[in-house]
Amino acid sequence: MSKLASGGCLCGAVRYTLSKPPEGYGACHCGMCRKWSGGIELGIEVAPGGITWQGEDLIATYKSSEWAERGWCRECGSNLFWRLTAPGPMQGLLALCAGSLDRLDGLELQSEVYIDHKPAGHAFAGDRKRMTEAEVLASVGMTPPEDI
Amino acid sequence: MERKGGCMCGAVRFTALEVPAEAGACHCEMCRRWTGSALIGVTVPLKNVTWEDETHLGRIQSSPWAERGFCTRCGSGMFFRVTMESEYSDSIELPIGVFDEADGFEITNEIYIDVKPDSFAYEGQAGRKLMTRAECHAKFGVLGDSE
Repeated sequence: MSKLASGGCLCGAVRYTLSKPPEGYGACHCGMCRKWSGGIELGIEVAPGGITWQGEDLIATYKSSEWAERGWCRECGSNLFWRLTAPGPMQGLLALCAGSLDRLDGLELQSEVYIDHKPAGHAFAGDRKRMTEAEVLASVGMTPPEDI
Repeated sequence: MERKGGCMCGAVRFTALEVPAEAGACHCEMCRRWTGSALIGVTVPLKNVTWEDETHLGRIQSSPWAERGFCTRCGSGMFFRVTMESEYSDSIELPIGVFDEADGFEITNEIYIDVKPDSFAYEGQAGRKLMTRAECHAKFGVLGDSE
């Protein structure tokens, strides 16, 4: 198994393998991801069914919005994923926390979302696709909160 | 300055005094796995942090010399602290992301820079103090050979 396709939490109680090695990941600067990760959330998109867990019973989850939950290792607190729970074809889609991979070298930081919520004090070097909150919501057919 | 903060779900809240603006990023494997990216934190005297309610504040001894705290309700990482009696054990490292006001921090140093994944970098690296894994082990060697 390629190291690019396996990972786990800090204490090793939760491990996983991906059915397909990832090519890259994206950063989210929204306020919830900021508080949850303590900094910047880096997520790898994993299609429903694309991951096999070991120690799955040690994953705790918290319903963080109407359409998603977050999972972490209940032993060590390592962030593991954001998961889409809303019914539909993409139910179960993961943004798997990139840092949990055994190796991140060779991957690409492909996008940054909620860029208008990024704290001023730090930024990722380099150029890539960047989207504001309004652009992200529009892309999934939702209206930004200020317009509701 | 005094800053308030808390986890994503609000079950763990704190007030911290004398919070510096200067933050450090740690790229060691343990911090990477724990945060999912890197631990960007500020160092605050332990006595200056008051937790409002510790009911949901979980702790794990993540190495023989340090512990990490997290919200057991939502999984947010709350702190890193050296538990081994040393010059470092009177302070606590708080991730900058858990503060309510996200602005006003600047990354002034990055440690374990040589084990940072090559796929991302924080802008302005050239202007900061950088330390390799070996340099960290030499400096924090009193704590033992661990990340």
